[in-house]
Amino acid sequence: MLSLIKGQLLKQAYNVPLLFQIENLHLTSALAAWQSNRQPRKWLKYNKVIYPPQLPDEERRPAFVCHQRTNIKYSPWKMWYVACLIRGMPVDEAIRQLKFVLKKGAKDVRETLEEAKELAVKEHNVEFPSNMWVAESMVGKGEVIKGYRRHARRRFGKVEYFHCHYFVRLEEGTPPKDYYQNAPKEPQEQLANWLASMRKRKINNSL
Amino acid sequence: MALSNASKLGLRLLQEIPNGLLAPLWVGSTNLQFVRHRRTKHFNPKWKLLRKLKYIKIKLPNFNEKAEDISEEEMRSKLKERGLVPPRPWMERQFFISSTGGTFEAYVPPEGDGKVSSVTAQGAKQKLQFLEKKTKTMMAIRKIKSFEEDFDTPVFCKTAEEIYIKAHECLVNRDKEGILKYVTERAYPELIHNIDNKTIHWKFLKSIELPRIVHARNTDVITKENIFAQLTVRFHTQQVLAVYDRFGRLMHGSEIIAKDVLEYVVFEKHLANEYGTWRIHAKIIPDWLPPRDPTAMTYKKLPEPVKSSPEEDKQPETNVPQKITEQSSPATV
Repeated sequence: MLSLIKGQLLKQAYNVPLLFQIENLHLTSALAAWQSNRQPRKWLKYNKVIYPPQLPDEERRPAFVCHQRTNIKYSPWKMWYVACLIRGMPVDEAIRQLKFVLKKGAKDVRETLEEAKELAVKEHNVEFPSNMWVAESMVGKGEVIKGYRRHARRRFGKVEYFHCHYFVRLEEGTPPKDYYQNAPKEPQEQLANWLASMRKRKINNSL
Repeated sequence: MALSNASKLGLRLLQEIPNGLLAPLWVGSTNLQFVRHRRTKHFNPKWKLLRKLKYIKIKLPNFNEKAEDISEEEMRSKLKERGLVPPRPWMERQFFISSTGGTFEAYVPPEGDGKVSSVTAQGAKQKLQFLEKKTKTMMAIRKIKSFEEDFDTPVFCKTAEEIYIKAHECLVNRDKEGILKYVTERAYPELIHNIDNKTIHWKFLKSIELPRIVHARNTDVITKENIFAQLTVRFHTQQVLAVYDRFGRLMHGSEIIAKDVLEYVVFEKHLANEYGTWRIHAKIIPDWLPPRDPTAMTYKKLPEPVKSSPEEDKQPETNVPQKITEQSSPATV
């Protein structure tokens, strides 16, 4: 009904029958038949690795759980910012922070974290789910569905509808002080390094 | 001046923001703000619809749709759209004719077995009771002998011990196919349950007492000739058990502490089957068994399902203690 009114209005104004042809193009069955169920395969396999028993005097190996959510309808490039934000945070803190991120992907990330926490307790012998930190948080590119848009002179442009995968690994324990290896050094440490390098230098033709 | 120049050039990047009532009036030229105006769109909104129509709308699939969220009618229409036949519901039930579904006339272990000596009054009484019940067992053993000519109880006890050890070894090695040689289809799920992602170290050290048959029964299923025999064997052994989780951390037991284990294991054989073998069928757990040690793990206590009754709605006071328990339950985590 709505499209009919819209059509009449348009006919009055512009008389462009081509547009309706495009609108009524039947694509559903063709698209549905195309649908594949390709999924990332490797990430969840880490959950199946069984480590050898530890001796009583060995340091307790921290438990970890890998979890993923696939084909989220969100841009992988935008999701990257959300994934980076929570790296090296305690889980509860990450969930709390994500509640304030006004990005569509933040919801999916938060849900994935909550699911991972639950999984850790249920299947991976983790006693306190809050005692975990986000050891890895990554984004992958998912299905890309191609659409079209009309250009002038009977040309067509491509529209890509991106999906993304989100991968997370939670590890038991407290997070390290610096998540990244090349974290900025403390001023004292910088000075010490500089002094050491200065004292180490070689003066040519000297004693 | 700058503002007017900019607008003349068509770069409407600066915009004058109207001051609020309480804003200081003396900050004259600072109420300018950079804004972005898209200049690729036509200013007249009458073209908006046509711009929209340039895009061919396609229906994006919802990849994260769960089957339980979709109603039956929606599912039907979806399948119809794809030209698929809805899957047939699984209405079949599995039956194994090579083993029975339970223990018939199960053995009732005497109280304090493994601790009470036969010298004491209680022990002597138990021995007497045991003899009284022996007739049926003897009859059953005779029946077994009619099928299996060289059946001998002491020899069987030895093979029973072997079967017992082999079954445990298969379990430890997670040999799910090999274990069926030593375990019936009924006992299989009970044994296999919860062994995923774990490393089990199990050792059979020695028998404290020789294994002995304490109970024997047989029954026919459907026809008279189709006979199954069950023998209950008492094992009093010393074993070592240590269970490690996926990360190799000790979950249960110990590698060095040997424990005395008293077990009543039911073995079953399909006598009517020429190729039938004695396999572990069940374990008898007596009523007098002391309760198990509580787990060392902390776990979240799930809230009890609240039963809604009309009385509760009338009396709001009864809700007060419930609320307190709800608050206290997360604290136990």
